[in-house]
Amino acid sequence: MRKFALGLMATTMLTGVSAHAQVAEGSRLNTVLERGSLLCSGHNGSFLGFAEVDDQGTWKGVDIDLCRALSAGLFGQSDGHLEIVPISWAQRWPALQSGDIDVVIKVSGWTQSRDTELNLAYSTPYFIGAFQAMSKADLGAESVADLDGGTLCVGAGTSTERATATYLETKDIEAELLTFENGDELRNAYYEGRCDALVEWAPSLAAGRVDAPDGADNHVILPDVIALEAEGIIVPEGDADWLDVQNWMLSSLWFAEMEGITSENIDEFKENPPSETIAKFLGNTPGYGDRLGLDNEWAYNMIKEVGNMAEIYDRNIGSGSPYDLPRGINALYNDGGVFYPFIVD
Amino acid sequence: MTHVIPASVPQPSFAEAIKGRYFSTRRDTIVSLVFAAIAIWLGWSLVNWALVNATFGAGQGDVCRENMHGGACWSVVSARWRIVLFGLYPFEEQWRSGLACAIMVIVAILSCVPWFWSPRRLPVLWVAGFAAFYILMRGGLFGLPEVTEQNWGGLALTVFIFAAVVLLGMPLAIVFALLRRSELPWIANTMALVIDTIRSLPLLSIMFTFAIVLPFVLPGWAIGDKLYRVIAGYALFFACYQAEIIRGGMQALPNGQEEAAKALGMTYWQRIGYIILPQAFRNALPPTINQIVITFKETSLVTIIGFFDVMASGRAASGTAEWNFATIEMYVFVGLIFFVFVFSLSRYGAYLERRLRVGTR
Repeated sequence: MRKFALGLMATTMLTGVSAHAQVAEGSRLNTVLERGSLLCSGHNGSFLGFAEVDDQGTWKGVDIDLCRALSAGLFGQSDGHLEIVPISWAQRWPALQSGDIDVVIKVSGWTQSRDTELNLAYSTPYFIGAFQAMSKADLGAESVADLDGGTLCVGAGTSTERATATYLETKDIEAELLTFENGDELRNAYYEGRCDALVEWAPSLAAGRVDAPDGADNHVILPDVIALEAEGIIVPEGDADWLDVQNWMLSSLWFAEMEGITSENIDEFKENPPSETIAKFLGNTPGYGDRLGLDNEWAYNMIKEVGNMAEIYDRNIGSGSPYDLPRGINALYNDGGVFYPFIVD
Repeated sequence: MTHVIPASVPQPSFAEAIKGRYFSTRRDTIVSLVFAAIAIWLGWSLVNWALVNATFGAGQGDVCRENMHGGACWSVVSARWRIVLFGLYPFEEQWRSGLACAIMVIVAILSCVPWFWSPRRLPVLWVAGFAAFYILMRGGLFGLPEVTEQNWGGLALTVFIFAAVVLLGMPLAIVFALLRRSELPWIANTMALVIDTIRSLPLLSIMFTFAIVLPFVLPGWAIGDKLYRVIAGYALFFACYQAEIIRGGMQALPNGQEEAAKALGMTYWQRIGYIILPQAFRNALPPTINQIVITFKETSLVTIIGFFDVMASGRAASGTAEWNFATIEMYVFVGLIFFVFVFSLSRYGAYLERRLRVGTR
């Protein structure tokens, strides 16, 4: 039997025969497709920029858009095929294991204990939660190095405090750290001018900047990354097919961005694909969906609905949103970021 | 009750009473003035913040943000009240959620009317009200689009959980209390053990167990929606506390009552239904109202297991880029909603006590 399987594998590889992907029996992918809707993680309240509720009570945010993208990829459109299940932070892992939700897309950092002890599988990261510094615009600082001799405000006893101290040490920057127990105190201390810069998780900084009493324009977020946390999509361990879908969804969003395909112009690309690869990517020629057990046009449907990664970012936390957080490390590698698409072949 | 004032004591005038109470010595005068000043200052700052300097009206977010008036920003409530009341309920269908809440409030008010206080009318009223609430919220009948429990939220969800817990918990509590007083020691002791075990667990851990752990343990057909599992757990918790309250009410009755009923040849159910329970409830009314008020307030714990109750939707209402600065105003609004409900509950309790003359026998 084993020999036979090996032989089969060898012939397949040699002849390049691409059959439909065999999705494993127990895969969550099958469960979701049979159910006809995706149960995705929401929030019990809101998390600025990632999961918010608009005036009409509909969800929006980076994480929500990724849920929509996934649902559109699986079903052609997310409308009627997506349920955002409100869950708390503590509940996300048990809810995933018990099947209350199919996937956790909830700015969750990739840590070793979660990956191993909790039996979770992480997709490639989709967001780098960077700890950065914000300083007053009139100081004219362009990087943390310019704050030499100044004072930085950080939360007491957090990993941010340790990371900031280490960062200053390795970069040989002399700056005093002022620590605060309470988040509001921390921000107020900065706004009142007790320190030259505030160190926090970048999206929180951006949210704080919007609410600055003297106006957002008087504050700049410095590009230096002091520490980072890689946020990924989480599925139960041992479900390779379901994990593949997550990874290729993210890759497709970056691929579209790289090729300049947006939700606006995607139909022109589809009518007139500039290359064989793009024709395959958009489902004009078969393969891109089949191999995952999905429709060949899944990437087209996805981008048609939510756009590429740049559009998702800009709409929710970037230049198109009130937060106006520069993309920085979250851009594609050719724009100074750390992200990249995989190869479409 | 009329107050009879003995003729021998002359009643002091209002001014004299004030002087005698607060300004009789120099030290009293100083203390009174200092505290009056603090109270006036606090009250004035509050009025200033909440009314005088506040910003009203929808679409005033930018005015608030630039802190033009320096006071509260009630615009957040004008802009986002629907989220607090209805949570994630589909926007076009929110009238159903509003109507359902109104029906529940009407049912609650009607059950204050003595005409409904009969063993037949009250359950019919509540079951009918509850069914109307459920059909409106859930839909799928009479051409109403279906809205699953997943999308329920805000005040409607809080009211639903509260009403369901009390309606399920109360009969359960009576059963528990009767079992606890059973003449067979093994029943009484087992019940005592169950009640004490559940009472020694925090409500939060019970909710967590019912919401998250049970699906791993139960067979598939018995799992049901998370909402109903949590209601079941909470009702059990409520029943254990309420059973002890009812038992307290029963124990306050003299033994002679039951013995007399036995001597008259009444059956067990007749004794319980006509003699014991009515009097036990009357005795236990103040702690029962207390327990119900606590139950209403503790419904907000369900936000921890991911329900979009009034508390969570309040947080979601202020948790966007436009309104993130107005969290305090949102909490005040949610607090006000709780106040209205709890205060009316306690007033109703006080009215019942007066009517049943709990204080006097």
